[in-house]
Amino acid sequence: MRGWIDIALEHLAGHAVCGYSPGQAPASEPTGLAAMALLLHGRTAAAQPALRHLAEAQCEAGGVGIRRGEPNPQWPTSLAILAWQTSQDVRYRENLHKAIDSLLAVRGETMPRTPDLGHDTTLSAWPWVAGTHSWVEPTALAVLSLKAVGQSEHPRTREAVRMLIDRQIPGGGCNYGNTFCLGQKLRPHAQPTGLALAALAGESKGASRITASVAWLARNIDARTPVQSLCWALIGLAAHGAAPKNADSWLQDAWRRVSDRGVSSYKTALVLLAAKKRLQIAN
Amino acid sequence: MSADAPLQLDRRALLAGGAAAAAGLAAWTAARRAFAPRAAVFVARDQRYDGPLEQTIRDGLTAVGVDVTQFRGKRVLLKPNLVEPSREIPHMTTHPAMILAAAAVFRRAGAAVTVGEGPGHVRDSEMALAESGVADALDSANLRFADLNYEETAWVKNAGRASDLEGFHFPRSVVEADLIVSLPKLKTHHWVGVTCAMKNLYGVIPGIKYGWPKNVLHHHGIPQTVYDINASLARTVAIVDGIDCMEGDGPIMGSLKRMGLILVGDNLPAVDATASRLMDLAPEAVTYLHLAADRLGPIADDRIEQRGEAWRPLASPFQILDKPHLNALRQRPGVRVS
Repeated sequence: MRGWIDIALEHLAGHAVCGYSPGQAPASEPTGLAAMALLLHGRTAAAQPALRHLAEAQCEAGGVGIRRGEPNPQWPTSLAILAWQTSQDVRYRENLHKAIDSLLAVRGETMPRTPDLGHDTTLSAWPWVAGTHSWVEPTALAVLSLKAVGQSEHPRTREAVRMLIDRQIPGGGCNYGNTFCLGQKLRPHAQPTGLALAALAGESKGASRITASVAWLARNIDARTPVQSLCWALIGLAAHGAAPKNADSWLQDAWRRVSDRGVSSYKTALVLLAAKKRLQIAN
Repeated sequence: MSADAPLQLDRRALLAGGAAAAAGLAAWTAARRAFAPRAAVFVARDQRYDGPLEQTIRDGLTAVGVDVTQFRGKRVLLKPNLVEPSREIPHMTTHPAMILAAAAVFRRAGAAVTVGEGPGHVRDSEMALAESGVADALDSANLRFADLNYEETAWVKNAGRASDLEGFHFPRSVVEADLIVSLPKLKTHHWVGVTCAMKNLYGVIPGIKYGWPKNVLHHHGIPQTVYDINASLARTVAIVDGIDCMEGDGPIMGSLKRMGLILVGDNLPAVDATASRLMDLAPEAVTYLHLAADRLGPIADDRIEQRGEAWRPLASPFQILDKPHLNALRQRPGVRVS
């Protein structure tokens, strides 16, 4: 009898080029995640359409837009780097190098420190959209991709790691990227905390903040946690050796919820990545 | 008098000329006021989430001249506020009962109703729906949810141009809607003072294009982009959840303030101006309302026709943060400070 992972892989293999929800136009983020999930589960051939789609969404300067024909913003570039690097396919070597150059050319806007905001606004990492401030999730994705291609010690990666640690909220966890606003401590969320923790795997500086975030995240997910947040949370916890003992059954239940609602390929890819307990990181 | 002769006017002539000019100015001002936009706003008191909300909303729409039967066969998009939902802070987000009641009003009129939102601080929209209680409500009424953060978009020219953005990428559900119903929660806002029907429409902007938070808008000015978004959308009406509200450090971390009110109107600046007065905050000091005044609608009290309850007996001061950028809200005469 086939297990749920095989069933999920079979679905994804047929819908590797996908949008955020069934029937929606393909988008680079879900397609990149689908490519990685298929590759990590050994479905190399099934991942090819997704890898090609990402190449078709790549601009001349190397950045990958949110959808083919929509060149801006280019925050999915990090996901394309992860997918092409995971494939180890020489056909995408040039795409990969151009994407890395493009990613490194983007910097979040900084501003002088202000008592109104709790985080260090002078640290530059990655924005969602060029010309704006640095935020947690695009920075975490950029760090993951740069670490994957052997750029862990690149100055941009190091500054981004400092930024991610700085954006952890005292008491644990992070949100989209604010810690305090006008003197008020803000609330953490599971998804960005999971993503940030995945990016902070192996980091020794800021250990107490990372430990607090691991503990916060472990306390704040369970079988009922919505699929996206659950998957990123489990990937982040696994990166620190803290995967909950019930993780596999939670994921199976998450897949059941996904398949009950018209099978989102985007969420299928996330569940399959979480089942691998990692994004593939070369270094 | 030759063309070269110096113009000599005696005092009487000067006074006569001045009086004529003053009369002209007064006439021009009177004419301007006469032709200035007016709008109606309905206020209902003593409202509860387990009360007859559908009837109240229907009464409100009728009172402000919105005939819901015109939307038979049309697409109506309900836009609640689900900016960063938390089960621990239900007064942050539009109550599910308000969404269901508004949906029932338009559905009974024969409209195709969709609920849409692009949460500003949360990438996981399923989490936002679950934490707000809206997921269960939508399921119970078989209502479709449009995730405005991730939908395909169409570019629409910026009709406001208070900011230098040339246009907006609006989600498909927004562009295709025949009517957009802003369903905000009545709250203070720590940067712009008040968030209600106009600011709620920040949530039609897709995160996939503008980020989480929608930082592109911040970089172009919050008041300016609130104005521009409202100027660029097609027909809108507002149904305000003013039952359990938020004061203090809104729109996320503030405290519960019970008001028991529902506001309805088809002119969003007028609705927001009335909401501000109910909060005992000066609408003229809310920058996006100042921008909108007489361009998108009236905010002056004497140009807003009150339907249902009068606002004055219902006004109750909302606490606001003691910050310099909010001082204007409470330095106006008559504005009380908690």
